[in-house]
Amino acid sequence: MSILPFPSFLDDVKDKGFKKAVFEGIDDSVERLTAGLNIQDLREAFRGETASRRPNPRLTPHADGFWLHMRPSYFNRDVTGMYPTFRLGWLSSYFVFFETITGILLMLWYTPSPEIAYGDMLTILSNVPLGQLMRDMHRLGAEFMVAVVSMHMMRTWITGSYKKPRQFTWFTGLLLLVITGFLSFSGYLLPWDQLSLWAVTIGASMAEATPVVGDQVNLLLRGAPELGANGLLRFYLLHVLALPALLFVFFGVHYYKVVIHGHSLPPQKENIGEDTAKRVPLDKRVYFIPDMLTYEMMWLGATTFIITVLCIWFYHAPLENHADPQVTPLGTTAPWYFLWIQGALKLGDKFFWGVAFPTIALGGLALLPYLDVTPSRRYAHRRFMLTIACLLISLTTILSYMGLAKFAVQTSAETEIVHELTFEPAHSKVGIGRTIPFDQMIVGAYTTAQMDHHDGLSASDAIAAFNAEAAANGQFEQMIQELKAQHVGANQLPLRFRAIPAVEAPKLMRVMEDFHHHLAAVEATELPNVWGALVITDNQGSLKRLDWIVSWDSVLIEGGKVQVDDNGDPILIFSDQVDAEGNPIPVRRIYSDHLFIHQASAYFD
Amino acid sequence: MNLLFIRSIDGRILMGITMFVGMMIMVGWVAINEEARMQAFVEQHTGRAIERGAELYASLCSECHGEEGYGAGDRAPGLNNPHLFGYDPVGLQTAAIINANRALVRLNKDIDTLLAELTDADNPPSEERQNEILAALNDLEAQVDEQNVRIEAAVAERITVLESLDTAVDNGLFPLWDTVVDIEQTAANEVEIFFSNNGTRLAQVGWAGDLRGYIITTLIHGRPGSGNVWPNSEGMAAWSQTAGGALRQDQIEDLAEYILNWDKGAGWAFEDYISVAQYGKPLADGSLPSEPPPPPAGDNVLGILARWEADEVAGSAVSGESLYDKEFGCTDCHRDGASAPDTIGTFTRVTSERLTLPQFAGYSFEQYVIESVVRPGDYVVDSYSSGLMPANFGARMTDQQLADIVAFLMTQG
Repeated sequence: MSILPFPSFLDDVKDKGFKKAVFEGIDDSVERLTAGLNIQDLREAFRGETASRRPNPRLTPHADGFWLHMRPSYFNRDVTGMYPTFRLGWLSSYFVFFETITGILLMLWYTPSPEIAYGDMLTILSNVPLGQLMRDMHRLGAEFMVAVVSMHMMRTWITGSYKKPRQFTWFTGLLLLVITGFLSFSGYLLPWDQLSLWAVTIGASMAEATPVVGDQVNLLLRGAPELGANGLLRFYLLHVLALPALLFVFFGVHYYKVVIHGHSLPPQKENIGEDTAKRVPLDKRVYFIPDMLTYEMMWLGATTFIITVLCIWFYHAPLENHADPQVTPLGTTAPWYFLWIQGALKLGDKFFWGVAFPTIALGGLALLPYLDVTPSRRYAHRRFMLTIACLLISLTTILSYMGLAKFAVQTSAETEIVHELTFEPAHSKVGIGRTIPFDQMIVGAYTTAQMDHHDGLSASDAIAAFNAEAAANGQFEQMIQELKAQHVGANQLPLRFRAIPAVEAPKLMRVMEDFHHHLAAVEATELPNVWGALVITDNQGSLKRLDWIVSWDSVLIEGGKVQVDDNGDPILIFSDQVDAEGNPIPVRRIYSDHLFIHQASAYFD
Repeated sequence: MNLLFIRSIDGRILMGITMFVGMMIMVGWVAINEEARMQAFVEQHTGRAIERGAELYASLCSECHGEEGYGAGDRAPGLNNPHLFGYDPVGLQTAAIINANRALVRLNKDIDTLLAELTDADNPPSEERQNEILAALNDLEAQVDEQNVRIEAAVAERITVLESLDTAVDNGLFPLWDTVVDIEQTAANEVEIFFSNNGTRLAQVGWAGDLRGYIITTLIHGRPGSGNVWPNSEGMAAWSQTAGGALRQDQIEDLAEYILNWDKGAGWAFEDYISVAQYGKPLADGSLPSEPPPPPAGDNVLGILARWEADEVAGSAVSGESLYDKEFGCTDCHRDGASAPDTIGTFTRVTSERLTLPQFAGYSFEQYVIESVVRPGDYVVDSYSSGLMPANFGARMTDQQLADIVAFLMTQG
């Protein structure tokens, strides 16, 4: 007779005593939670002993439990090492979950609106404890995920694992690669800084080249002719809703296929044309519990550990200035994993290289298992396909290199050099001119001409000589006019150049040497008789203004190329004035750019 | 790599736990340093906001408010200005006068009490007490005299300071100064009342909020020109996109950070007060107000061409190249033909291909290029997408700049 009107735990206590009843209750709960393993089974498993119960309780979670029903209960020993999988598939899955978790945390502080998004980034960095770490991890995880998924694809190609019966697995994998690329790309826009706006503008404008539907696709994607509030909202929804949903669907299909067909063995381990992945001999079985489970938990710890170390000491997610559709930054590029398309675009027709070529490439990849139907997976029998794989890797690398801003884009030397010295922080780099310590920004006008005078003159004598020269030929006055046009205050205009204070300001000296070095490299071609100057002025108590000036004799440039005479010297453009000896004077050109540096803004190299 | 393929189960468990604990320790270490890191980020970010604000100020505001914030001519007040930041030039003297007046009130009260006791008919004090009271009264009278001397000294000092402000007053400082006709004749508290109403910019306009709010509101909405103090002012434009201007809210805030960075706090000095153009009169050094900037070209193509003709506007290819590359950043897109037609070959392409199209019958090269610049949406070459090129160049360029750019493109055969 039960104590209560229904059977209860108290009856157990009455029958067996309190201690035994509690232990059995706990044991029972553990077995329910693990879908089949009681405490004793778990102890045996994690001690590496064989199971003492029959039938083997370690298989029950795979049969009865939800979470392990999609994991194989044992693996072939030949696929559990480094080779042939390199754990890339596992890593890809890891990043799917890693990105989901860090992404959801970031969503708590993010609003997809052009007015607010950038401010939210600043809030995450300035007012959310661990916010920076979370953002760095999400960003680094995204970059890793693209790399890992691509490598996973190349590995599958190289070991021939796409062959029958895994053709469809390969196809879903390719879909996952494309989705991963778009996920990463759609996340690019969300911080709403210059980097994101322009990388995405370039990317989205490729879609436009599609015939017939290009404009519509582009409009659908951006929500307006230019990226704005609607575009940001759409990219956000793609990033957090549509693409993850697609990813999880195909992730499920992909993994289901992997389990159905088994992990393909190293090619030399099975006979040609056979697929023995599902027939694992007893002595080759590595059981999921406990072996693979402990492996995976360890990798989980190790991978997260590595990412944490990287994000604390080696990597910070970039955040540039607020997005500004009116200001195109010099040297804008697509994200690195789309650089190959940008490189291809430089080859010619926008439609062919920007749309047709990537489509053909991806289509070819999708059809690969249906085109390459030879039975053998052995490397020796697949020389052609392996060659194609190497060519593909080389081609992508070369095209990506061509996609870099420095490749085949004509920018005039003076713009390039000044930009090189002054560019705002981007991709974890910053123009060296910004890294001069605030107390070394000593007010004055300095020139690279100081370094040109090597003939035994001291720095101050060289400067005195150059001052006289520049005053006589009007080049100094031209610089003053340029400074005035750039709104330098009348009281701030320099009267003459000073020697660079190398002792008090070694970094300033180094920057000027750098400036001189860059100019000297093009003096013989694009910028004859060039000198550069840096004019430092006080703007506010804690704010300096740095004006960078380049002055040179103009040369004839046609089609972006400097025109040379028969001697190989550049052809100068002369004004209608003559000097004292009756020789014509070349047209003197001047270029300037400026930046402001605040004491607290702390740029580092 | 073998480390990641440890063959023993306990090795893996140990490794996993070590990694996990190690990670938690690192995250904990980051967490305890977060306050300092966030503080540093705020400072650094404010610094960069000031830098960006400086850039905006130089290009948009310096024309009227002066490159160094001292004002320019008779168009707008200096912002590097103690008056804006609440510095009171006669604050010390005013405080001295107020303190002395308070002391006087206290002393007079004491005197009244003693006199009342001395003259109390119902309860006359003893002779001894009378002597005591008289002595105390003498002492109090002496203290009253002392305070009066202090007030006189402070008033005299204030007059000196105010007289040395004459230059600034001549330049329009305190437009209502006339109400205090003669400092020496006016009751001292009238000057005080005047300063409490006019001593700072915020008090003067009756602004209830703080200075940042005042600056941001003014930047957003602009303000009408006030003809009585700014004879040559056309008023300040509304700068915010909210109010139809050009700047985003974050840029408005950057600008406000820059303007606020002029505040010297306790470091403001009297010299600052007189070196800045407060109101619109010619400057003390007799310099003239600068000319207003030329109007933008607008987007009426034929109107532009007619003005070129009438004003004999001639373009310079050299200056055009600099405008094209730098000021307006055209080369950023017009460079390799990927997103926009290449700069190189513009002249040939326009004259031999575009102008042969039926819709451009009767167009000159100039007219085609002007239309392409100021109305980029009217015609887009088939292989390029519409909407990429900003449509506001007409509002950003003057006739001369547009002519320079056309002259430059003519050289791009």
